[in-house]
Amino acid sequence: MIEIGRVVVKVAGRDAGKKGVIIGILDDKFVLVDGETRRRKANILHIEPLNQVIKIEKNASHEAVAKALEELGIKARQTKPKPKTQKPKAKRKTPEQLRKLKEEKRKLMDIFKPKKKEEAQEIKETTLEDKAGLAEAKEEKHEHGHKEHKERKEAKPNEKKVPKKTTPKKNE
Amino acid sequence: MPAPRLRSRSLRKVFRRVPGGRTSIHYKRKKHKQARCGNCGALLKGVPRELPYKMRSMAKTKKRPERPFGGVLCSRCMRRTIIDKFRQ
Repeated sequence: MIEIGRVVVKVAGRDAGKKGVIIGILDDKFVLVDGETRRRKANILHIEPLNQVIKIEKNASHEAVAKALEELGIKARQTKPKPKTQKPKAKRKTPEQLRKLKEEKRKLMDIFKPKKKEEAQEIKETTLEDKAGLAEAKEEKHEHGHKEHKERKEAKPNEKKVPKKTTPKKNE
Repeated sequence: MPAPRLRSRSLRKVFRRVPGGRTSIHYKRKKHKQARCGNCGALLKGVPRELPYKMRSMAKTKKRPERPFGGVLCSRCMRRTIIDKFRQ
């Protein structure tokens, strides 16, 4: 039953249930198997011989085994070597490239920065003015507190206008 | 007296000697039963008995043998089924 060219099924291990051919007989216990399985030494007890025999040389190469098994409709195991992907090496940038990068960055900064500055300045100015106005108003209030009622009446309209303007801006 | 939820036997007690000298009871989840062959009922080897959270962190190859029907049938039954299939 066990001879070179006998088609077998592996019964144990991770190749269990896969077909192969006996390529060589190592001793009274072990044989060499190749095909759907890995090319490996296998215990005779871990093999189930089938009723097919192929003409094959002893220690035939995996390609020869694959060709021989194709006639039986068995696809031999193909271990595709992983496509070598070259890792992108980090190259040092030349000073010219660095300069260009810096210029680009500066351009970007120029595009973005001034707007912010203007906005910020506007806001700051308004706020400062408001603050100043408020502060003045407060001072005026304090001053008026000591002064007579007539002066207050005159000053009040001016005071009222200032806080009304400031409050909505603050909310914004 | 333990808290009512701990008085059930769904949790297992673990007696721990505390640094203070007294023994305190820690309540822990029970492990599931050992995996068995779906055909003959024999205990399966190579299938760990761990809590789900540990099983989750394990690799797939560590959770069952790497062969057809690994973790479902014992090796004997697996061999039997394969041989039967090819002998007919």
